[in-house]
Amino acid sequence: MIFENILLAVQELSTLETLLFMSIGTLAGLVAGAIPGFTIAMAIVLTLPFTFSMPPAQGLATMMGVFVGGLSGGLMSGILTGIPGTPSSVATTFDGFPMARNGRPGLALGIGVWASFFGGTISAVLLVTLAPQLAQIGLEFQPSDYFMLVLFALTITASLAGENLTKGLIAGALGLLIATIGEDEASGIARFTFGFDDMRQGFSFLPVLIGLFAFSQLLTDLEDRVKAKKALSEDGSSAVRVEHLAAIKIVLSQWVNLLRSSFIGVFTGVLPAAGSSISNILAYDQAKKASKTPEKFGTGCAEGIVAPESANNATAGGALITMMALGIPGDIVTAVMLGALLIHDVVPSPSFVTEEPVLAYSMFLAFFVANFLMIALQSGALRLFVLVTKVRMYILAAIILAYCGIGVFALNNIEYDMWTLFLFGILGYVLRKLGFPLAPIILGVVLGHIAELWLARATAISTSVLPFIIQPWSMFFLILAVFSVFFSSYQDNLGKKTWTLFYTPALTAAMSVPMFLMEGTARPILGVILLLLSGFLLNRARQQGWKVNPADAEGPRLSEG
Amino acid sequence: MSRLNRDVYIAIFLIVFTAVFFWQSFEIKNIDYGTLQASAWPRMILVVLGILSVTYLVQSLKVGPAEETESDGLGFFERYRNPIVCFILYFLFLFSMPYLGMLIAGILFVFLLLSAIGGVTPKALIIHAIIACISIGAMWSFFTYPLGVILPQGELISTF
Repeated sequence: MIFENILLAVQELSTLETLLFMSIGTLAGLVAGAIPGFTIAMAIVLTLPFTFSMPPAQGLATMMGVFVGGLSGGLMSGILTGIPGTPSSVATTFDGFPMARNGRPGLALGIGVWASFFGGTISAVLLVTLAPQLAQIGLEFQPSDYFMLVLFALTITASLAGENLTKGLIAGALGLLIATIGEDEASGIARFTFGFDDMRQGFSFLPVLIGLFAFSQLLTDLEDRVKAKKALSEDGSSAVRVEHLAAIKIVLSQWVNLLRSSFIGVFTGVLPAAGSSISNILAYDQAKKASKTPEKFGTGCAEGIVAPESANNATAGGALITMMALGIPGDIVTAVMLGALLIHDVVPSPSFVTEEPVLAYSMFLAFFVANFLMIALQSGALRLFVLVTKVRMYILAAIILAYCGIGVFALNNIEYDMWTLFLFGILGYVLRKLGFPLAPIILGVVLGHIAELWLARATAISTSVLPFIIQPWSMFFLILAVFSVFFSSYQDNLGKKTWTLFYTPALTAAMSVPMFLMEGTARPILGVILLLLSGFLLNRARQQGWKVNPADAEGPRLSEG
Repeated sequence: MSRLNRDVYIAIFLIVFTAVFFWQSFEIKNIDYGTLQASAWPRMILVVLGILSVTYLVQSLKVGPAEETESDGLGFFERYRNPIVCFILYFLFLFSMPYLGMLIAGILFVFLLLSAIGGVTPKALIIHAIIACISIGAMWSFFTYPLGVILPQGELISTF
C-alpha cells in the first residue's frame, strides 16, 4: 500500500513543470534563508501567492522546496559572514565561521550542506514511516481529545515563545480572538463586525500572516536609518568553491553525531511548537557533551557544524510528521504550511493520509526530493546570495512590501485583503516593539478555527465538560498543557529552586494515569514504566539530599525567539 | 516613559480591549439549533484574555520602576521615521489604487518609498524610478499573464 502510494506520488511529482517549480522554490529558499533578517517562514509566506493557481500537489511541492532550501540557506551567511541567516543556523556559526576564517570556507560549507542533506534524508524516511502510524493513533481521538490537543499546542507555543510567559499566552489568546472575527463557519452568524459589512468575511489567513510576519519584519529592518541604506552584507563576502568530497568523508565519519543530532531534530520537530531554532542548539550542546575533544568546539571543528545542520533539517521532517498526521503545526514554519494546505482546500487530520494518500505521499516525497535539489543548487545559490547581499536593504524592503500587497490581492481578488495586510502589518510592528512574541498569535489564528470546530463537535456529542477531563487522550493532553504552562518557569528556576526537582517526576507520574485508562496492554505497560521512572527520579533526588545542581542552570534553554 | 509605566498602560489597554469585545459578544445572535452558540467560543477566549490581562497588570505593577536608560537624543518621530513613512505611503498606495490602478499606484509607492528613505539626489531619483518601474512592471506582468490574476486597473486608465 505504501509503495503503491509512493509510486502514485512519483507520477504526480515527476513532471518537468513541478520539478522546475520545486527547483525555483529550493533556490529561492536557499537565498532567502541565507539573508540575515529574512526567516524561512517569511520565504514560505511570500511564495504562497505564486502557488494559488497551481494544483495542490505542485503548489505544496514548491513550498517544500522553499522550506528545505530555507533551512539549508541559513548556513551560508552563518559560515561566510558569522551572522546566521535564520535562527535555525545560530549554532552553525559557532564552528562554521571560525573554520571559514581559518582558511577552509569551502570545507565548512560542504560539511554544513551534506550534514543538512543527511539530516533531511533521515527525517524524510522517518516522515514516510512514522506519519501514517501516528495518524493511526490519531484516528482514536474523539472531538474532545482533539480540542485538548490544540489547547496543548497553544500552551506550549506560548511557553516557548520568549521570556515573558504572560505575554506569550496573551499573544496566543489574541490570535484565537482574531480567528473568531467574521461569520461563524458553522452557523453563518456575524461576530465582532462592529457594524462594518466587510468584516463579515473575517480576516483571511494569508494577509494576517504576511502582515504580522513579513510586513512588520521589513519595517523593523528599515528602522535603523543608517543600516537601511547599507547593503545586506558589506564585508565583501564572495562565492567559494564547496569541497564536496572531503565534506562527505568527514560527515559520514561522524555517523554517531549525525544520527544523534538527526534524531534530536526529529524529536524536537514532533513536539508542537518546538522548531529548528531550538533543535540546532540542543544538538550542538549534546555533540559537545559527547565529544572526546569538547575544548575544540568553538574553534572551527567539524562536529560543531554537523550537529546543528543535521538537526535543523531533521526538525522539518519531525514537524511535518505532527502536521500531516494530526493537523497540528510543529513550529511557525509548519503553521504557515498548514495555512497553505488550507488555502489549497486540504485539511490535514488523522484521516488525511488515508483519504488523500496521493497528496500526502506527494508531500513526503517532495520533502525527500527537495533535499537532493538543495545539494544540487547550493553552488548556484551561493553565487546568487553574494549578488543579493550587494543590494541595499531599503531597496529590497520597498520591493517586497509592494509584492506583499500584490500577492495578497491575488488570493481573493479583493482590496479588503490588502487593507487587512496593512492593518496587521501595523499591529505586528507595534507588538514586536512592545515585546509580544508573534509566533503564538499566528498559531492562534491558524488553530482557532480548528479548536472551535472540535469544540462544537465535542459539545454536539455531550454538553458535559467531563469528556474533556476524564477521557484518556483528553486527560493526557490536559496534563501536558498544564505542565507546559509552567515549563518556562521550570527552565528559569532549574538548578536554583528545589521544586524543580519534582517537575519531571510529577509530569511522568501524571502522564501514567491516562496510560492506565487506555485500552490494550502496551499503553498500561508504558504507564507502569512512566510511574517507575517517576519513582526513580524522586529516589535519586532524595539520595542527593534534595539538592539542586547549579550546572543544570547553565544548559541550553528550550525557547524560541 | 519608564518601562513600568509602559507595561501598565499596555495591560490597561488590553483590559479595556477585552471589555469592549466582551460587550460586543452580546451583539452576537443566538440560534435555536446546534449545541455551541456562536458567542460561546469567543467568550471563552475573552475570559482567558481578561484573566491574563489582569495578571499582566498585576505583574507590571509589582515590578519596580525600570532604570532610566540613556537617551540617544532622538525623538519618537525621528526614531521611527522610516516605519512611519512606510505606513503613510502604504496607506496612500491602498487609498489611491482604485483610482490609479495597481501598476501606477505600485510604481509610485516604490518610487516614493525609495526616495524617502534613500535620498533625493538627481542620480538617486533616476535609479529609484528605474527600480520602481522594472520591479512593479515585472510583478504586474507575472501576476497578470502567467498567473492570470486580474489586478485593479484603476478608474484613471479605465476612462481612457
